[in-house]
Amino acid sequence: MNGMKKYLNINRNSAFLLLFLTLLSFSEALFAQQRQISGKVTSADGPLPGAVVKIKGKSGGTGTNNDGAFVLSAQTGDILVISSIGYKTKEVPVSTGNTVNVVLADDNQNLDEVVVVGYGVQQKKLVTGATVQVKGETLQKQSTTNALQGLQGQSPGVQITSTSGQPGEGLKVTIRGLGTIGNSGPLYVVDGVLTGDITYLNSADIESIDVLKDAASAAIYGSQAANGVILVTTRTGKRGQSGQITFDAYAGVQNVPKKIDMLNSQQYASIMNEAAINGGKQPIFTNGQIAALGEGTNWMDQMFTDNALTQNYALGASGASEASVYSLGLSYTGQAGVVGGKSLSNYERYNFRINTEHNFYKDIIKIGQHLTYSDIQTNGIGVGNIYNNTLRGAFNTSPFVPVYDANGNFFDNSGSSWFPGEANPYALMVLTNQNKRTTQRLLGDIYMVIEPIKGLKFRTSLGMDYNNADSRSFTPLYQLSTYAFTSTTKASQSMDKGKSFIFDNLLSYQFKVKNDHAFEVLAGSSAYQADGSSIFGTNTNLIFNDLDHAWLTNATNKDGTGINIGGRPIPSDRRMSYFGRINYNYKEKYLLNATFRADGSSRFSAANRWGYFPSISAGWVATNEKFLEGQKGWLDFLKVRASWGQVGNQNIPAFQYLAPVNLAYTNYTFGDKEGALIPGAYQSRISNPNIKWETSEQANIGFDANLLKSKLTINFDWYNKTTKDWLLSAPILATAGADAPFINGGNVENKGVELAVTYRSNIGDFNYSVGVNGAYNKNKVVNIPTADQTIHGGTGVLYDNSLEFYRAQSGFPIGYFWGLKSAGIFQNEAEVQNYRSAAGKVIQPTALPGDARFTDINGDGVIDNNDRTMVGNPNPDYTFGITLSGDYKGFDFSVVASGVAGNDIVQSYRNQTSQFSNYTTAVLDRWHGEGTSNTVPRVTETPVSYATFSDLYIQKGDFLRISNITLGYDLGKIFKKSYLKQVRLYAAALNVYTFTKYNGMDPEIGYGGLPSTNSNGESIVQDAYASGIDVGYYPRPRTFMFGANFKF
Amino acid sequence: MKAIKIFTIAALILSLGACKKGFLDVEPITTVTEENFYKTPKDAYTALVGCYDGMQIVWTEGVSLPVAAEVMSDNAFGGTGNSDGFGYQMLDEFDKSRSPADQDLFGGNWVLYYKALFRCNTLIAKMDQIQWGTDAQLRKTYESEARYIRAYLLFDMVRLWGNIPLITVPTSENIPQSNPEAVYKQIAEDLKFASENMLVTSYTAQPVAEHGRATKYASEALLGRVYLFYTGYYAKTDLAGVVTKPQALAYLEDVITNGGYGLVENFANLWPAASPTTYAGEDNKETVFAIKYTYTSDYNGNRDGNYWMVMTGMREFSFAPYGNGWGGQTVNPKLWNAYASTDTRRSASIISIAGENIPFTNQKGQREYTGYYGKKYSPMLGADGKPLPDTYGNPNFQIAQFQDYVVIRYADVLLMAAELGSPNAQTYFDRVRQRAYLSAFTPLALTTDNLFQERRLEFALEGIRYYDLLRQGVPKAAQTIAESVSLLNGGAPVTKTISAGNITTTQGLQQIPYTQITLSNGTLKQNAGW
Repeated sequence: MNGMKKYLNINRNSAFLLLFLTLLSFSEALFAQQRQISGKVTSADGPLPGAVVKIKGKSGGTGTNNDGAFVLSAQTGDILVISSIGYKTKEVPVSTGNTVNVVLADDNQNLDEVVVVGYGVQQKKLVTGATVQVKGETLQKQSTTNALQGLQGQSPGVQITSTSGQPGEGLKVTIRGLGTIGNSGPLYVVDGVLTGDITYLNSADIESIDVLKDAASAAIYGSQAANGVILVTTRTGKRGQSGQITFDAYAGVQNVPKKIDMLNSQQYASIMNEAAINGGKQPIFTNGQIAALGEGTNWMDQMFTDNALTQNYALGASGASEASVYSLGLSYTGQAGVVGGKSLSNYERYNFRINTEHNFYKDIIKIGQHLTYSDIQTNGIGVGNIYNNTLRGAFNTSPFVPVYDANGNFFDNSGSSWFPGEANPYALMVLTNQNKRTTQRLLGDIYMVIEPIKGLKFRTSLGMDYNNADSRSFTPLYQLSTYAFTSTTKASQSMDKGKSFIFDNLLSYQFKVKNDHAFEVLAGSSAYQADGSSIFGTNTNLIFNDLDHAWLTNATNKDGTGINIGGRPIPSDRRMSYFGRINYNYKEKYLLNATFRADGSSRFSAANRWGYFPSISAGWVATNEKFLEGQKGWLDFLKVRASWGQVGNQNIPAFQYLAPVNLAYTNYTFGDKEGALIPGAYQSRISNPNIKWETSEQANIGFDANLLKSKLTINFDWYNKTTKDWLLSAPILATAGADAPFINGGNVENKGVELAVTYRSNIGDFNYSVGVNGAYNKNKVVNIPTADQTIHGGTGVLYDNSLEFYRAQSGFPIGYFWGLKSAGIFQNEAEVQNYRSAAGKVIQPTALPGDARFTDINGDGVIDNNDRTMVGNPNPDYTFGITLSGDYKGFDFSVVASGVAGNDIVQSYRNQTSQFSNYTTAVLDRWHGEGTSNTVPRVTETPVSYATFSDLYIQKGDFLRISNITLGYDLGKIFKKSYLKQVRLYAAALNVYTFTKYNGMDPEIGYGGLPSTNSNGESIVQDAYASGIDVGYYPRPRTFMFGANFKF
Repeated sequence: MKAIKIFTIAALILSLGACKKGFLDVEPITTVTEENFYKTPKDAYTALVGCYDGMQIVWTEGVSLPVAAEVMSDNAFGGTGNSDGFGYQMLDEFDKSRSPADQDLFGGNWVLYYKALFRCNTLIAKMDQIQWGTDAQLRKTYESEARYIRAYLLFDMVRLWGNIPLITVPTSENIPQSNPEAVYKQIAEDLKFASENMLVTSYTAQPVAEHGRATKYASEALLGRVYLFYTGYYAKTDLAGVVTKPQALAYLEDVITNGGYGLVENFANLWPAASPTTYAGEDNKETVFAIKYTYTSDYNGNRDGNYWMVMTGMREFSFAPYGNGWGGQTVNPKLWNAYASTDTRRSASIISIAGENIPFTNQKGQREYTGYYGKKYSPMLGADGKPLPDTYGNPNFQIAQFQDYVVIRYADVLLMAAELGSPNAQTYFDRVRQRAYLSAFTPLALTTDNLFQERRLEFALEGIRYYDLLRQGVPKAAQTIAESVSLLNGGAPVTKTISAGNITTTQGLQQIPYTQITLSNGTLKQNAGW
């Protein structure tokens, strides 16, 4: 917190300096016949701080202070223009008096608010699609490292799930149900630049985020919009705004809210004994030995770090001159991980942002730019599947392994008489996660708008998304177990860079016919090109033994086997698009919107290259009808809307329509020379020349209503979304002999409703707002064009060599859990013998008391794959959010909660194929004699009841999380300094409490499929549709923080 | 007017992309594609090397057949670490309930065998489109080699799983399992084609740089082995109508007469660990065919090494010249005891902990400890006491072992010819035995029992014994393998039981990977007993 104080001082000083400079420039103007005009701006609610006061046709201006007061030099005849967002702008001529008091009228119910739509903005009241806007300020108030996390609970129909609690990890965003089997993430458009990820942004830089949910809204982005579009607008200056400097800071500590309890040494030894006895063996430990064991190592305590720091500082400046508007931002974000702490799991980000716009030739030409630069440093532990998951190692290691040996070094377990193959997971984490990655990202555009005649605009822009990442890692010498060891030190270095250009040209014309018919037509084109390259190298035997010195130059090895190098281009990705849109309204009563887009993509063969995406939507503003005019007061606004559209998806790796011949790592040796490799080649993938666009078709019907003098707002939507011709790489039979091609897979339906209700009111000085939003979604796979109507899930997901247990199949929800149904536990031998089929056959003849009884669904007297059925659904039926906020005099508070209901989670923390893996304490409730349990089977050395996937792995995933509580106070009311508009101090708690029955660490499991590499060395994610699978998940921290906001 | 001008200019700019012809046409840079490959003889050679590579890597995942075949036989137990899973016990005892979660024990192998098969099938299918030019023999040679590799793969697969889909042209269809006879017919035809179309080049005439490539004589020798297994296991009189007994013998006699091979004088010199200083070297005159390995494996994708040797080594214990391994093939004392003390093959084939005074202390870590380990394919230590691959700078001793797997030795050719009734049968038999006993040689009459016994001693721990048992009939194999014996698990005695019933039920075949059965939606059927 000391650092923060320092920041504060610096900024206060610079604010003074700035004020001084401003005054200096004002003094020049005093030579004219100027005089001081003072006044007060008020609204119906009282004084209006932050309103802009300027003189028409002149540069400069001022803003009102907290009491709504302003002082400005002007001369008689000048016209003061007073404006403030949310109010109608007013012009007042300066007469002879020295005081001008102004009352600004409410801008009708915020309906003149504009929302961002594709390639433009639109008045909210005229929007006919289903969109939701969240302001940057709201996001900022969530104090999250990632802006998207702040959206959680604020936008119905948008499910946001952390993929990991590791700092800087991405979020899984699903709009209106999982619609595809591949990459289901939406398209992000930042200030018009298309990108795949916005984790690089600081919430302080964001003006607003608009989510386009229905096809009609998204269709203007046709090619990429199948999973919805998220439009991000970064902060810009506004015409007429007086200069403003803001500084925001927070710092806090994070802890793991809930650790999983593993067995301690005594419990573990008893369970191992019991498993041995159940296997017909002698107990391994005597009672005396067990009594002498003590607790052993608690790996959970070792792995987690207490009070990991999170902090954020953001400095912003914005304003306007006569010809230009500007907004600058500089920010730093740092978050340490709760697993392993700052040295192993950390995220740091510096952001620079400059957005400006300049006017030329009396506003005929505007030229501007958006530019955000981020410098990100991360290091991290393994998170993901069972093979690359640092935490999972800790679940499976016995408490017998000590952390350190007598000399204080990490304990080498190779000599263990218990299990020399298990390694100290903490040491593994520390030793094998020595890595550092820095990413530089530059995203922005330069644009020009020409408006030769009013309403006719031509806009051209060149956008760019550039990123460069370099990583290094160091592997030291270690021996931790018979399987976990190294015999040389190793350094790896890699560098990737990529850039994309997007060249957009838009022509739009806004005009009215006979005053009542308002038109806006738009035509445009967009060309997109992305390229990149990567290079990597590894070598062994380093001169120095630490990460700082782990550079290839410091490696001494000269043998080819220790060296691994490579470099490749990222295949060029290109698109050419043409699009058009017509907006029409009659007296703002009848609204019509139609769009059409054609996209050509380099990812498809020439014959299947073009995709066409139409949409149409209409709205009716009922409250503009004469017959409803008398209803104002209780029904202030009612708009009914309907839309239909098609959007597309082309998210597959390049060249899937070709059959690649692989040369990498394909060698053989002939003759007597060891190591003399002769290169070979083979066709590595089956081609699919017919691969084409995936299409998502969606119909939407909804209404927006403002009631009770706009205290109550209601938004409702119903939708039916069908994704057709999914692009997917379905597992194929081994007999095909090569990697599976991408195919156009089938259809999936998502139907649902969304409702958002907000009530805003006040009791005296206490203003409050209550918002509740919820969405119901039903997901169903309709048709899969393979012989068995099934896309089979991957193997080895739950434990080593585990078999398929999730799949996409016609008639079922996507990724449903496919397994046996259990029906209790056999309590005694008689129950085993009496469990017979109709034909009298003993169904589980090899079962023993304590084993699970499985339901023989097909009644054939045998338990096999034919008895497997849907035993769980990972897709939630309901997602919901609650926001409460209020303010009283200087105080403000808010609470945000979010949750899901109706989904199931598969939990697999234990490696079932390893007999000595530790258990969670849930095993203490196992069956160990007649009547002891009817839910948890007996323990065995080999996983008898767990070998075939069944509902024994499944738990309910419903939860409600209080994700944010913030309490703030604005000291500005005490200081009453004209240069200080706001000094708000606040305290916040994040991830405060989670109501759930799930017994894992966190019910919000952002399982993201199986990342892997195909035989051509390309990274792919298998089964991205799989979800709700907890194999050991980096939990989200609970954070307590203090923060401050200053506005000058 | 102004507006029209602006519209025109704007429209031109809007359609800018359209003018750039070919903007959307991009080409892959770092991969060749199937359309522009398989054109020249050089492409064909590269693709052929790809086939050899495919064969080389079939045991880099799952369980390796040379190890599994010994574990399944009466030569060795499943062993492995005392705290490991029970997959090798399941394999050893043909008992699914020993490790119920291992439903994909050979899953990786199944995939890799079919991938290797696909490489061969693709190359064979492309033969016609390659511009061979004037060299008429080249096509024949390459096609023969590809077909040899295909036959080799199919023979492994059909012996291990019994019922496999037979794929001879690239296909993505869901193919049901074939009648084994069809598979053997294909194997026989491929090998026959190879032996008829390859150059007649004897071992001595073959350039050293080409050692390791399949030859006419390798094809003929393999044909003899296929003939014997098929006619034995399936009780047939000829090889699927393609090769008769006299023909099979003729192929083997051709190898003996014209192949240029010979026996290495000292049996121990065939095996590096048995002859650290006098090793005869790889591709020696006794090697008819070997899968070649080298030390360049890493965890980045290079898979050129012998991945399975580490399984045979002493459990986490090394003693020069023997390197450490995972003890996944503990040798049955019965095998040690089968040798006469005068037989040089005993100490060349088996590491005896007591006999060699090895201070082995890791009984605690070893499951099914017997006091004996395999020597023929034992990992070794270098002069510096580190695992041998370290000599080449490769620290990954688990995957970088580089001893070739000798598939067919000349001694096998001699014994097969003897078995098939060669007029020189007794001479061939004696030659093998003379080398084994050297000065202690005493003649032995060639009978079926003596022959199989001699084969057991000669080829112990080379992956041959199990199939020699099966081809005498499943009941015979089951009786021979079944036993109940006391072994040490982690130092404590346990009774190990292999029941004949399990071998009869499964017919000595292994589990079809369940993942493939699920993927086939039941088209693939599981073998009995699994």
